[in-house]
Amino acid sequence: MPWKILIADDEVAIANVVARKLQNAGLEAIVTTDGQEAYERASAEPPDFIITDLQMPGMSGLELCQRLTTELDKPIPTILLTAKGFEIDGTSLAHLPILRVMAKPFSPSELLANVREALGIRTASPATRFARSGVTGS
Amino acid sequence: MIELRRAAAVVFLFLGVGVALHLLLEPVREAGQPAAVKAMTLGAGMALAVLGIVGGFLIARVPKERISSVTDHLEDMARRGTIGLAISETEADALGRLGHAINHYLSFVKEEVEQSHLAAKERQIQTKVLDAEKRHIEAVIRAISDGVVVTDAFGDLVLANAAAEDTFGFKFDPAVRRPIEEVITDKGFLALVDDMRETGLFTSHRAVEWIQGAGGEARIWRVILNTVVEGKRRDRISGVVAVLHDVTKEKEIARMKSDFVSNVSHELKAPLASLRAYTEMLVDGEVKSEAETREYLHVIGTETDRMSRLIDNILNLSRLESGLVPVNKADLAVTEILRDVADVMASQAVQKNIRLEADLAPVFFRVHGDRDMLYQAVLNVVSNAIKYTPEGGQVRISTYLDDSAVVVDVADTGYGIPPEDAGKVFEKFYRSRHSAKAAKGTGLGLALVKHVVEVVHGGRVTVESDVGKGSVFRLFLPAVR
Repeated sequence: MPWKILIADDEVAIANVVARKLQNAGLEAIVTTDGQEAYERASAEPPDFIITDLQMPGMSGLELCQRLTTELDKPIPTILLTAKGFEIDGTSLAHLPILRVMAKPFSPSELLANVREALGIRTASPATRFARSGVTGS
Repeated sequence: MIELRRAAAVVFLFLGVGVALHLLLEPVREAGQPAAVKAMTLGAGMALAVLGIVGGFLIARVPKERISSVTDHLEDMARRGTIGLAISETEADALGRLGHAINHYLSFVKEEVEQSHLAAKERQIQTKVLDAEKRHIEAVIRAISDGVVVTDAFGDLVLANAAAEDTFGFKFDPAVRRPIEEVITDKGFLALVDDMRETGLFTSHRAVEWIQGAGGEARIWRVILNTVVEGKRRDRISGVVAVLHDVTKEKEIARMKSDFVSNVSHELKAPLASLRAYTEMLVDGEVKSEAETREYLHVIGTETDRMSRLIDNILNLSRLESGLVPVNKADLAVTEILRDVADVMASQAVQKNIRLEADLAPVFFRVHGDRDMLYQAVLNVVSNAIKYTPEGGQVRISTYLDDSAVVVDVADTGYGIPPEDAGKVFEKFYRSRHSAKAAKGTGLGLALVKHVVEVVHGGRVTVESDVGKGSVFRLFLPAVR
């Protein structure tokens, strides 16, 4: 089973390109285009990793992460994408499983590298090795 | 015996001259420097008395006729209030010498009196000028838009202008000195003035920000405090001057500008992020088919257009506001504009599953206006209504005549605007926290609507809103009869 990664971004073009990059690397990508939808999908079937935009109508990426962290048993490691990087203060990220904040525009390759690094830090599993070999092979 | 009487007569005569001088100097004394003038008058009187006594003994042997001529002359001087030569000095006898001495003295007194008169007149003028200047300065202080509050060394209020009265809600009475804390109740401000009075010797100038009130009603003041320092060693504070400048609006504009820049950069970064990501994918050879390549290039094209549109919008509003866009007015039917807007927005409404209704009167209400500008204004309002209405909602456009105005109503069943934001939605750059959550925007759309309707067409725009139920935006345009 490949790692399952949930993507949340109201910019459909961005969500799609991130999904394509992950899929090319052998990961499974689930695309959602607002916070509420992402929250519902993640609650129903928790993914291994979340890549979310910060500013989305309805529910922000930060709220999404907060709610999932409170409601789920296991925190889901998350990368936050934002065009307003300088407006995030450290206190709002405290106690949240946000591994990294990446400023938009971002490099899909760099994002993938970050995702791989994060997954590699977690307990090694055949899926991790599969994902890694998949990426290096591509 | 006769000689004794003559001597006495002369003594009284000179005493008389003394009294005359005293009377002459009366106006001088009234005008100012009473002590100096009094001393001079007293001195002159005493000198004349001594002269009179000495003279009396000398004159005792002088013929009666000459004495009575001198007496007449002096009496005449006293009557007319003049000072001049009193006695003929031609005779070489004792009376002639005395005459010389008296005349010499009188000319000195005359000069002194004249100078005193001149000085008194000058002082009178100076006092009048100073009074006028004082009144003028007070009037200026009363009239300036910044609040001015002045206290003395004891903390009594000595001056406050109209702006300060408005700020603190009191009426200043210059005739009654009262402790400032009896007049002004804002503790924060009193603490500033108190602190200044206590520490003002070390820092005679201070500028602080002071917030009056709280919440939406809060006003932000820049308070400039100065101490008035007295004494040779400048070691005594004789008062505190506080000037209050309202910076609430400035702060709000600064906040709006910062929000605007932040919004614009966010809006620009979104297409830029796509451009960067899709280009990198192409460069990195992540594309497997020609169809995929075409799809990527199409996204790049669309995102480039989007970015360009945003920049155009910002520039358009800026150009419109600075009067660079030519206004082409003609008589036109509002109904036609509304129909065009409804047609253009239909697809957007369908996408969000929103029912867009155009309930247009069969009568074509006409206005004298710029078609393109009015179209853009109505488009912005309708586009906003769709943007801030959740799926399954409704947006209704209608038009009717109200007195001499053609009214365009755009009513939605959207999120609504909180009352504290309703008055500000037309301000440039303003985005309520509420609306920012619901959808993206630059805070320019309604600013353009207001400018087009009110500045270009002399109409007005209003909004009625109920949070959770929806809003009605109303555009009033002067009708053509």
